[in-house]
Amino acid sequence: MYQASDIRKGLKIELDGQPYSITYFQFVKPGKGQAFTRTKCKNLITGAVLERTFKIVESLTPADVEDHTMQFLYAEGETYAFMHMETYEQISIPKDVLGDAVNFLVDQMEVTVTTFNSRPVSIELPNFVVLEVTYCEPGAKGNTAQGGNKPATVSTGATINVPLFVEQGTLIKIDTRTGEYVERVKA
Amino acid sequence: MALDPAGLERRSRVLRALRRWFEARGYLEVPTPSLVASPAMEEHLFAIAAGQGFLRTSPEFALKRVVAAGLPRVYEIGPCFRDRESGPWHGTEFLMAEWYRAGAALTDLMDELEAMLALAASALGVAAPTWRRTTVRALFLEHTGLDLATATPAQIYPHATEDWDTAFFRRWLEDVEPRFGAGGLIVSDWPASQAALAQVRTDGEWPRACRFEAYLDGVELANAFQELTDSAEQARRFAHANQARAEAGEAPHPVDQALVDAVGRMPRTAGIAMGVDRVVAALCGWDGIGPGRVPGGV
Repeated sequence: MYQASDIRKGLKIELDGQPYSITYFQFVKPGKGQAFTRTKCKNLITGAVLERTFKIVESLTPADVEDHTMQFLYAEGETYAFMHMETYEQISIPKDVLGDAVNFLVDQMEVTVTTFNSRPVSIELPNFVVLEVTYCEPGAKGNTAQGGNKPATVSTGATINVPLFVEQGTLIKIDTRTGEYVERVKA
Repeated sequence: MALDPAGLERRSRVLRALRRWFEARGYLEVPTPSLVASPAMEEHLFAIAAGQGFLRTSPEFALKRVVAAGLPRVYEIGPCFRDRESGPWHGTEFLMAEWYRAGAALTDLMDELEAMLALAASALGVAAPTWRRTTVRALFLEHTGLDLATATPAQIYPHATEDWDTAFFRRWLEDVEPRFGAGGLIVSDWPASQAALAQVRTDGEWPRACRFEAYLDGVELANAFQELTDSAEQARRFAHANQARAEAGEAPHPVDQALVDAVGRMPRTAGIAMGVDRVVAALCGWDGIGPGRVPGGV
């Protein structure tokens, strides 16, 4: 167990059955009340931030949170198979845990899988991924880097907004954190 | 934090403004001992033992004896000491302005505080704060949807099993106080269990302490009491505070019998204690009391 005096940025604790990381803390004492530590905690699964106060004498439960490097193997219906890069153990992660990451997962991609109490709860992709445009309307003639956007389907099945000059078969770089087009990549 | 000459100059302007205000309102400056035999009794105040006694946590007891002896308007600006309090908005040693006015009601002190801070703001060349007056119960209802008169600790703070006051403060700090927003806020009618040395009202509504706290831009600046004038009740509260101290594993504080007796002789009086470092910081828009203080204190 942690004590309130252990509170620091980055400390991972369990609150209401969910893992949180402390992002801010401050000593606070109302005029006629006892002293508390006021914190902001980020939910490691949903990313939601909440404000919590702790008594100076209070035990906090450490969150059993671990990051593992894994390789994406294949998707089968609603579950996705990954291999642990150190133990070679294979695990399945349901699609709803992966969230938007499924839009950019490609075979053999190395990802970071976060587990909470040994259960996978979130996944982090490389910041950028290069995918092929499998379908888009032909670009407007004479259009250069400036100009409008159009939807394009990439090899994972996701739809991305791309500049008008991007053609079917082009390789494009995508920021996986925002889902946005970055640039064309020469094959 | 480095010594900030501009910050010290700002604080000096506020101190001059406060003294000018007290002088204009006929208040007598009365320095009282910093080293005292009996420090404050409140359960959550920790006095620093020094020599044969303690460093005062506030000049409250001494100034009340002065009022009971017949001086109707008195004030003191001086250092106070509270152990285990340290952070951007807390110093173990801090500068307190405290004043007592015989015959006054809490609303009189609200008017005084607003006028005083307007003068301090003018001395700093900043806009005078605008004030809103409300109650603890109204704020709690506004920000949590709960009525404190009937809410249980489990409703007030569902995340942990707490006594009523702890549940109240945790919810207050998490969901109420952070939503005060900009400007001045005067908050009256605190839970009766947090009365300290204030009178308690049981008429209508819910049992509540005749107290207010003043906030500026979310920072707590001052606490005011309609002072207790019943010696027997005062003695009971001190005994209760010492019992709570003992239950928390803390040493009981010696009771100031002269103060207990003086409380019974005090006329109807309202008193207020204000953190000067915080007033300066809040008016200047600093993110803590540091720039107004000379570094080097422990």
